[in-house]
Amino acid sequence: MSDKPNSTAATKSGITMTTTPDDHLIAWLAALAIAIHIIESVLPSPLPGVKPGLANVITIAVFILYGWRTAVWVSMLRVLVGSILIGTFLSPTFMLSFSGAVASLIVLWLASRLPGEGLGPIGLCLLAAMAHMFGQFYIAYLLFIPHDGLFKLLPLLMTAAVIFGIISGIIVRSMLQHLDKRKNDTTTIISPRNEQEK
Amino acid sequence: MTRADYYAVLFAALLLPYLYISQWTGDEAGINATIMNGGETTQVSLAHDHTYEIDGALGTSIIKIEGGKIRFAASPCLGKQCIHSGWLQHAGEFAACLPNRISVAVLGEEPRFDSINF
Amino acid sequence: MKPLWLSLLLIATLGITACSEAPPQVHKAKLFTLGTLVDVSVLHPDEAATQQAVEIVESELAIINTQWHAWRDSPLTAINQQLALGETVTIDAATHRFIKQAQTLAADSNQLFNPTIGSLVERWGFHSDDRPNGAPPTKANIDKLLKQTPSMTNITLTETTLTSNNPAVQFDFGAFGKGYAIDRAIEQLKQAGIENAIVNAGGDLRAIGSKGKKPWRIGVRHPTSAGVIAAIETDGDESVFTSGNYERFFDFDGKRYHHIIDPRSGYPANNAVSVTVIHHNAATADAAATALFIAGVKEWPKIAQQMGIDQVMLIDEALTIYMTPQMAQRIHIEIDDAQIEIVGDNG
Repeated sequence: MSDKPNSTAATKSGITMTTTPDDHLIAWLAALAIAIHIIESVLPSPLPGVKPGLANVITIAVFILYGWRTAVWVSMLRVLVGSILIGTFLSPTFMLSFSGAVASLIVLWLASRLPGEGLGPIGLCLLAAMAHMFGQFYIAYLLFIPHDGLFKLLPLLMTAAVIFGIISGIIVRSMLQHLDKRKNDTTTIISPRNEQEK
Repeated sequence: MTRADYYAVLFAALLLPYLYISQWTGDEAGINATIMNGGETTQVSLAHDHTYEIDGALGTSIIKIEGGKIRFAASPCLGKQCIHSGWLQHAGEFAACLPNRISVAVLGEEPRFDSINF
Repeated sequence: MKPLWLSLLLIATLGITACSEAPPQVHKAKLFTLGTLVDVSVLHPDEAATQQAVEIVESELAIINTQWHAWRDSPLTAINQQLALGETVTIDAATHRFIKQAQTLAADSNQLFNPTIGSLVERWGFHSDDRPNGAPPTKANIDKLLKQTPSMTNITLTETTLTSNNPAVQFDFGAFGKGYAIDRAIEQLKQAGIENAIVNAGGDLRAIGSKGKKPWRIGVRHPTSAGVIAAIETDGDESVFTSGNYERFFDFDGKRYHHIIDPRSGYPANNAVSVTVIHHNAATADAAATALFIAGVKEWPKIAQQMGIDQVMLIDEALTIYMTPQMAQRIHIEIDDAQIEIVGDNG
């Protein structure tokens, strides 16, 4: 993908915007994240609005490829645009998605500080999914149902988060392997951004 | 999998049983339940059959108590997850209608009243 | 690096455990004083401070019990003797405060709360820890006492003196003393730094603060059957007082005679089965519950308004529940098929 040339587009106001192939990929990934977000909204859950966090797959992939900042962008885009499209903007569901996303991003930031090889896709997805679930749960408890009985659901929710976390980790890993293969199949120049974040 | 990944999995493997044990143990049969509506809590007895109509953030939820059990019978939410939770009977069992901000929990040992006036 | 991992793990686990709080531990003590069982509940993190607070309550209640006892030899019986002889009694600031509040409440209740009918109460047999037995007083006896019309209007009170122009005045503060004592006990608790507590003396109580995140939950006993008829969650600093015909009574010849004597008729008031009042001040709530019980189904709204009481629940013989709108908002009726009537706008 990095072998495509940059594209240029002229907007109505006459400003010229140049987008890199990476921008295209990120936009594409963000759109995919939003799609997953919307699909996930119809999945059943013991506690309505609390999701296992499949859209995290995109966040983690972006984090690994493009670094934390970009992951924040994609994540926030996903939550905002997703909620606007579904119609839940600023609703309880939105608060839950938002807090889940924020919690995952915090954990990812901590993970990026780790020395040495750090975490791979599986570890990242696992921890991010757990953080995501925990963030959602806690906001649900603080804002919507400050009822001690809610904690009875936490073990179930966390189990789902762990399972989905590991599955998303496996998905991300094969995604990255697939992307790597495509990169190696063509002669490309590795963008400086990739090298910086590793 | 990196070494750090293994630690992450280990962490999850330790956390889950901990959560189950800490939140789920304690198996007294419930005789009272609490209904929470927004910030307000009402304690109800499961000893007498009763039907409650509770006005929440979204509309009216109907909560039924019958034969020592309690459940959401009707609710204005879209998903109806609260209703699908079914009959609650044992201490700690819980159901919630998040959009309507109403939740029901069966109590265990907590006394129903802090003081009796007569 | 291992240490960073471990600390992250620890923080996460602690975070989760911290979220699920154990229910707050309420310290409960039972004292026997004021002629009844007193239940003190305190919520305070410091065990030693709590223990000390309970002891403070116990001594405060004991002081008031000794001072204002209506029939055992006490400063009050001494005052009664002096007043019967037409003497002027010298009083201190505490006594002044006590009698002044009683005088105001009596006036506001149109003298339905009448703490000067000690002779009548004694004649009915209620000046005793035991249940009266034997026959009720004859009508002749009662009429004789009634004719003397003792009331708080006979009392002249100054900062340091107390006189009565009616030798029939015999103080009995049964309908007020308990509330007054509870007010004092709560003040002591507050001074000791206790912010969350309930002092319940024989069923009448004042509650301050809350039980952690949840309010104190008070159950009002059903007047005629076992169990609870209503539930109240207190908000801030409130007293809940109930006067009922089931509290102190005796039976004779198949008829029941209870201890709330109507000063107008000389007989136990029979226009209600129980009255529950919620008010900030316990002494006021105490006197009001008695006065409204005596006022009964027809007259209670007027008396309640005069006394500044806006949260009242009165239950009559048919178990119809009458309430002010303010009470209806607070209270939760726990029985099914309750007949409820909301009475007027009390403000």
